[in-house]
This record gives sequence, C-alpha cells and structure tokens, in this order.
Amino acid sequence: MHTRNTYCVCVVGTVSLKYGVLGLLAEEPLHGYEVKNRFEAMLGGTWEVNIGQVYTTLQRLERDGLVRPVGSRGDRGKLLYELLEPGRTALNAWLSAPDQGPQRLHEEFYVKLLLATRLANGDLGPLLARQKRAYLQLLRDLNQLEDRAKRDGRNDLARLVRGALLHTEADIKWIDELSEKNGGGSWDTK
Amino acid sequence: MDRRAFGKKRWWELGYEMSELVRLTDITKVYQGGVTGALNGVSLAIEEGEFTAIMGPSGSGKSTLLNLVAGLDRPSSGSVTVAGSDLGRLSETGLARFRRDRIGFVFQFFHLLPNLTALENVLIPARLKSRVSAESAGRALMSRLGIGEVADRYPSRLSGGQQQRVAVARALINQPTLLLADEPTGALDTKSGDQVMALFAELHQEGQTIVLVTHDPKLATRYAARVISMLDGRVIDDARLETTERKPADVIRVRSEEPSR
Repeated sequence: MHTRNTYCVCVVGTVSLKYGVLGLLAEEPLHGYEVKNRFEAMLGGTWEVNIGQVYTTLQRLERDGLVRPVGSRGDRGKLLYELLEPGRTALNAWLSAPDQGPQRLHEEFYVKLLLATRLANGDLGPLLARQKRAYLQLLRDLNQLEDRAKRDGRNDLARLVRGALLHTEADIKWIDELSEKNGGGSWDTK
Repeated sequence: MDRRAFGKKRWWELGYEMSELVRLTDITKVYQGGVTGALNGVSLAIEEGEFTAIMGPSGSGKSTLLNLVAGLDRPSSGSVTVAGSDLGRLSETGLARFRRDRIGFVFQFFHLLPNLTALENVLIPARLKSRVSAESAGRALMSRLGIGEVADRYPSRLSGGQQQRVAVARALINQPTLLLADEPTGALDTKSGDQVMALFAELHQEGQTIVLVTHDPKLATRYAARVISMLDGRVIDDARLETTERKPADVIRVRSEEPSR
C-alpha cells in the first residue's frame, strides 16, 4: 500500500492542520469527518480541507503515538480517535511557541517588479496600477467579510479578517510609495 | 423626495446624456508659486447614483478636483460640467446659485458658524435659497441623522461627531444633486467616523450621488465601488470594484504550505 508515491502524498500536509486536529481531539474524541467539519467551522470557511488530508493526518499522528483509535468502527464504519498524553504535550509545546520565521511577501509580484524594472526601462506605472487595483478589490472583499463576520457574531473570524485587512493596507502603502518614487516614469534601482 | 428634480424638468430631459452627472474634460489647474494641488490634464465622468472615492497622497490634487466640481474654484483650462451646467459659463452669481442648489459639501473640520445654533447652521443654505422657513424640514433631517436633541445647542457644546453630522445636515438641507466630502472623518474618532460613513452609505442606498476624498484605502473600498487614484495632478487609476460577495476561502487563505516533517 505504501508505495513511494502514496508516501509522498502522505508527508505533504500542513503544520497547522496537524495541530488543529490535535487541538480538536483535546476537547473530545472525534471521527475524521467530525474533525473536518469542526476544523472548517472554526476557520469560518477560510480553509477548506480535504477529508483525505484529515485521514492521512490522523494516520500519521497515530503512527507517531500522538493519537489512537478507540473502540471498534462505528458510524459509517469510521473510527473514533482520541488524544494521547504525548499528543497533549506536543500540542501544548506548539501552542506556547511564538510564530517565527521571515516576513512573507507576495514573491510573484516582487519578481515581476524586478524584471519589469529591467525590461520596461523602469516604467512601472501600469504594473503598479494593476497591482493596486487588485489590492483595493481584496480590501473591499475583506471589508465585506469583516462586516458579515460581525453580523454573524463571529468575532474570532472578524479578528482574523482584521489581520488580513491590515496586511493588505500595508501592501497598498507599499505600492503607493513605489508609485510616488516611480513618479516621472523611471524607478531608480539603486 | 426627488434629489434630481430640476424645476419642472429633470436634468436628463434637458437633452443631456442620461445618467452622466459630472464631466471633467482636460482640466488643468495651475497655482502660482508652487505645484502643490495642481492638476495636469484630468478627464473623467461620474454617473448619477455612483459612490466614488478619490484617493491620493497630499498635494496630488484630489481636493482641488473636488473644489472644481463643487464650483468653489475654477480650472485654469478645460471644462467642468455638472448636471448639464457648464460651470465655466456661469457668472459668479450663477456659480453661487449652482453651489447653493446643487451641491452639498462636507469639510474635514466641519466649518460651522460658532455664533449660530446647530439648527441655524443647518438652515443657512435653505435661507439663502428661499424665504419660506425650512425649520421643520431642518429639524426632521436632524432627527434622522440622530442629532435632533442637540438642534438648539451651539457648536462648541457638541462632540466632533455631532458637529460633523450637523455639517452633513447642512449639506443635505437643499436636497443637493451631488454630495461632496473632503476627508469627512479625518477629524473624528473611529466610532464617530463610522457613524458619519454609515450615514453616507444610507444616503447612497437612497440614490444620492457621492464623491468622497480620502487618503484611507479601507474607508474608500468599504463604501465606494469606484476608486480613483491620483498622483501629481493626474489620474493614475480609475477602478470599478466588484461588489458581489465572495466565499471566505476566496478572500483569505489560512494555510501554510510547509511540509509537516
């Protein structure tokens, strides 16, 4: 069953999904599809997970001794999983560690910017205007999402959206600064 | 209440192209002794019922543009047409009448007269227009804007948010064709600013055409579906944004792509 290819699919997961699963199991034992539903509800629809991803994550956690199936196959032949003590320790360690690492930027735009500077004799006006328009649209969508979250009483989601709004505002500020430097039509690469 | 009525005729019955309310053609504005706020070849049209935001850094010309549309200032060259009137052809008296009848203007710092009550401030444009007392209309408007109870107070006894709502009432008392606002929340705290903007959103829902000058992109995109960006006296972008709601996952992605081990 574990051919090289399926193993590759198995290892490509996400750190937060792994700990999301552990965190939800810390509340009570759950079936895989319950984990999926609760995880998605918690994230307010901002992260849609594949049920297959959830099962591979559970299997990997079981392999590592962090969770275990309890009882026999129940509803729809699915197994209930519970959190083990090493799982709780791993979860607590993860929760107490700050999120570290370098600042993530929109690398595709940045590479475009560098190349356009070389190829378009420094006139970045159109590139910057298009990018700003995209950020303005995103800002509008985020505004709507924030309003909706507040209307629905989802303050947790509203806080998440607020973070995204602030990042997008910073992106717009960056574009504006680049535009002002671009000014007459040339962007100084020095 | 029909904000678009022009005497007995509506402006689109006067042979003017339908739904276009403002047209600027090749506008330049030169200031002696400096370039700050100058305009350098601006052409754009604003349609009836639109909520447009004009953004740009200070000195980009956005306030100058608003003042030209309001008839508060005249361009060095080019033409400004609002609701069928070519403002360049109006005398000073004609321009004053145009402002009184067609334009509601909200400033950043309210510009209320301190020796008049809130209500008296609201009624100034109405008194300039007609001898018939507009007091009951003024009080009704102020109640609607949530400042009915402070109508007889002097501006110094009002909060910033209340003063700005008085200024909005003053701008609306003559049922203007066009509501123009220059950084209307710039001097307000977040809560009062939100209240003023919620009011603008409500007026827009009722069909009011609004042009808002702001440097705040969140504010602009929250309320206006059209965002015009200015830089150095020119329009560098004119974006009409999509207004349909999107799925959360299409707006935010909470996801890291790193392998777990």
